[in-house]
Amino acid sequence: MTMNNLMQKVRNIGISAHIDSGKTTLTERFLYLTKKIHRIHEVRGKDGVGATMDSMELEKERGITIASAATYCQWKNHEINIIDTPGHVDFTIEVERALRVLDGAILVLCSVGGVQSQSITVDQQMKRYQVPCIAFINKCDRNGADPFRVIDQLREKLNHNAVPIQIPIGLEADLNGIIDLISMKAVYFDGDFGDIIRLEEIPDALMETALEKREELVDAASIFSDELTEAVIEESEIPEALLIDAIRKGTIQREFTPVVMGSAYKNKGIQLVLDAANDFLPSPMEIDNEALNLDCNEETISLTGKKEDPLVALAFKLEEGQFGQLTYIRVYQGKLNKGDTCVNIRTGKKIKIGRIVRMHSDQMEDVEKIEAGYIGALFGVDCVSGDTFAASGMNVSMTSMHIPEPVISLSIKAKDNASEISIAKALNRFTKEDPTFQTFVSNETGETIVSGMGELHLEVYIERMRREYKAEIITGEPSVAYRETITCNTPFDYTHKKQTGGAGQYGRIAGFMEPVAEEEFVFENKITGGSIPTQYISSCEKGFVSCLAKGPWLKYPVTGVKIVINDGASHSVDSSEMAFQAAARGAFQQAYFKARPVLHEPIMKVVIETPAEFQGNVMGSLNQRRGMIIGSHDVGQITAIESEVPLSEMFGYSTTLRSMTQGKANFTMEFSTYKQVPKSILETIEKKNEKKTKTGT
Amino acid sequence: MLKKQLILRDPLSFLGCETDETEIKGNFGAVTSRAGVGKTAFLVQIAISSLLKDKNVLHISIQDPVDKVNLWYKELFLNLTHNQDAKESKQLWETLLAKRFIMTFETEGFNVSKLIARIDELSSQNIFVPHLIIVDGLSLDISIQSELLQLKEYAIKNNFTTWFSMRTHRHQSEDPVTLLQQLDGNNSSLFNMVIQLVPHKDQIQVKRLPLTGECNDRPPLLIDPATMMIKETINK
Repeated sequence: MTMNNLMQKVRNIGISAHIDSGKTTLTERFLYLTKKIHRIHEVRGKDGVGATMDSMELEKERGITIASAATYCQWKNHEINIIDTPGHVDFTIEVERALRVLDGAILVLCSVGGVQSQSITVDQQMKRYQVPCIAFINKCDRNGADPFRVIDQLREKLNHNAVPIQIPIGLEADLNGIIDLISMKAVYFDGDFGDIIRLEEIPDALMETALEKREELVDAASIFSDELTEAVIEESEIPEALLIDAIRKGTIQREFTPVVMGSAYKNKGIQLVLDAANDFLPSPMEIDNEALNLDCNEETISLTGKKEDPLVALAFKLEEGQFGQLTYIRVYQGKLNKGDTCVNIRTGKKIKIGRIVRMHSDQMEDVEKIEAGYIGALFGVDCVSGDTFAASGMNVSMTSMHIPEPVISLSIKAKDNASEISIAKALNRFTKEDPTFQTFVSNETGETIVSGMGELHLEVYIERMRREYKAEIITGEPSVAYRETITCNTPFDYTHKKQTGGAGQYGRIAGFMEPVAEEEFVFENKITGGSIPTQYISSCEKGFVSCLAKGPWLKYPVTGVKIVINDGASHSVDSSEMAFQAAARGAFQQAYFKARPVLHEPIMKVVIETPAEFQGNVMGSLNQRRGMIIGSHDVGQITAIESEVPLSEMFGYSTTLRSMTQGKANFTMEFSTYKQVPKSILETIEKKNEKKTKTGT
Repeated sequence: MLKKQLILRDPLSFLGCETDETEIKGNFGAVTSRAGVGKTAFLVQIAISSLLKDKNVLHISIQDPVDKVNLWYKELFLNLTHNQDAKESKQLWETLLAKRFIMTFETEGFNVSKLIARIDELSSQNIFVPHLIIVDGLSLDISIQSELLQLKEYAIKNNFTTWFSMRTHRHQSEDPVTLLQQLDGNNSSLFNMVIQLVPHKDQIQVKRLPLTGECNDRPPLLIDPATMMIKETINK
């Protein structure tokens, strides 16, 4: 088989959906049917083993998928790489990363719940990365299942040109099989795990519906194929391959969403989902991948996808396994051989490729190389998520992934010494694995602060520290990163003089401080005539910088300050670096309050997607939270409300929103800007601070 | 200070529209031109002028997303405050934002009843009470005659002015005023002001079209296509 033929049979797909739609169960069934596993373990099964894809203990317990587990399988001569993605909104970075490296996706929907809030978020992400998808309507065996209602929702809420390529034989408890509208056969799934396929003629009772739906399918697909249109006009028999080809074209252009259905739990229809992935989702060759040329002002260049060309690969996920750090990688161009050397473009360092594996959840298989279009994992490579690996001489970087800013912080403290070490280990690992999870030590309190994308996001990591690292942790209240800044130009002239026996301390600094936009701190030396000797200038700067971490007013970091020094004095004996640092601190204190300091708070861009009937209440809730509504956008039955809300008002909002909208709305939040805190709020913060100072907490 | 300076650059006053005329509650105005000449930019300038006069503006866009509409405002405000103190301009912009609300709809998802329900909801919760409504991208044809009448009635009752964009086509022989009058069964009380944008050499000419019985002897204005700002008046 030629290289191109091989590549045409590769599928890099993601499975994404709302939480509890059954995507992990679906993946488990894929693995079973493709002989990758030999027993099925349910997500919340009685055997207590949990699904293969949910490899973390916490995932197994909660029945949710937290980290994407990558795996591959083979189905009908096609190689399918699957990334199982988490469903909760707080973990969307995982979904985004998965979509970045994938060529296609299966959007799993619940036949009862339909298009839910997370389905909308995931769909938007797919749009952002132009990922073609097929839809699988799962849980057709459940009470209240109505796949056709879900198809309507796909059209109305997500604007998909969703067309069923199957219809169910019975629904709810009577779900017996599936009618394939392409082959016009009834498909039944026999055996304990539905692995024996029995093809029959379509039952008479369903023939009329099947013909009607087939006609709709052919009509919708004919837009993408002239040959098919001709066949329809001539009323000649439509070959299966022709219909499949037309649907495939439409799907790859993202103008057609083929809908398949069944029940993963009851093992019905799963083989047909795999068939659909082979038939309709693109191979790596059919996707145009771009990189940024760092030699040419980050111009985008197309990657060839050929294995003969120089290597370009992206590290899209890191995991700490029992054998060290595991780096998940997608090769876009060239190939990565065991023993090869390539360059980490971010650091410029050369790295030698050691062990290469293909992942199957937490089990692995050693391979010699990964070629363009494939996904694999490397051992012992020092990098962070999002790094580009390229051949020597290639100065390109993969388009950076959209990584949202962390929005919430929490202090954590170890209960004992052993826990402190465990926490350090855990944080080192988590921050490398997940760029939206960050940590630092507060200069003020000495506490370790973790920040992330939401309350649940932090909660899960803290829980993981407790379980996986046996760390005993005390957590603090979530807090907002306020900042102090000045509003007017103020001069200073400060002399630091101390004579307490022995060598004295002397230093005089004069100049002014002024507000500066879009810079944290600017220091300008305009001393002429050596009034402050050159060797003390850096000490002056150091002295000013030391005042910034904790503002003299409310003890928050000071930003947006420009310091200009233009005069001063020194003493041949008493002046020292320390004396000028102290003089700078004194000058800062002297001028700061005269420069009319104000407090700034982080403002978040909050986008809420809600069914239109709740939009009034949602806007009201934003208004109550000092939010400024920028606008609303109606798409079908959904209204997207864009607003700017102070972060301090957003704690606990997910719960409020859920109860206000019967759980049908969801929101995303990212940092927008810093704005001045209004007077009324400032008073409250001042009072809180006073209390804190008094109690010493 | 800056605010006062900018108010003086109200595009409607340049065109000879009297203040009471543009602020009569329930009045409808239309900015008409062929596609791509600058209707949205002109409407946004009308909106910015109203915002500067402390009026609340509801901008309704059919098709364009919120971000794109927001960008129009940002760009035109930047052009308007070009060469002014950056800090003062930024502060002014912040105050204007609080008085503006953008609502966008897809073509098939928009109807006046829905809009009225939305405005009622915003007003009743005291979230936003519009004084001026900009409707951009709605196809003004006879099929929406009854909806326009419904909106007019609502506008009179709720004291706001409405400006529409109206796209004309090469094949249309009627002038925009006739087309608008047809919307109201030729009794010409639906629209009170009509402004036409016409490409003129490498610039855009803006003129107020006379409605029945009106006489407009003001010279047309010119818009700089690069900035979409009013440039000068053409001497007759």
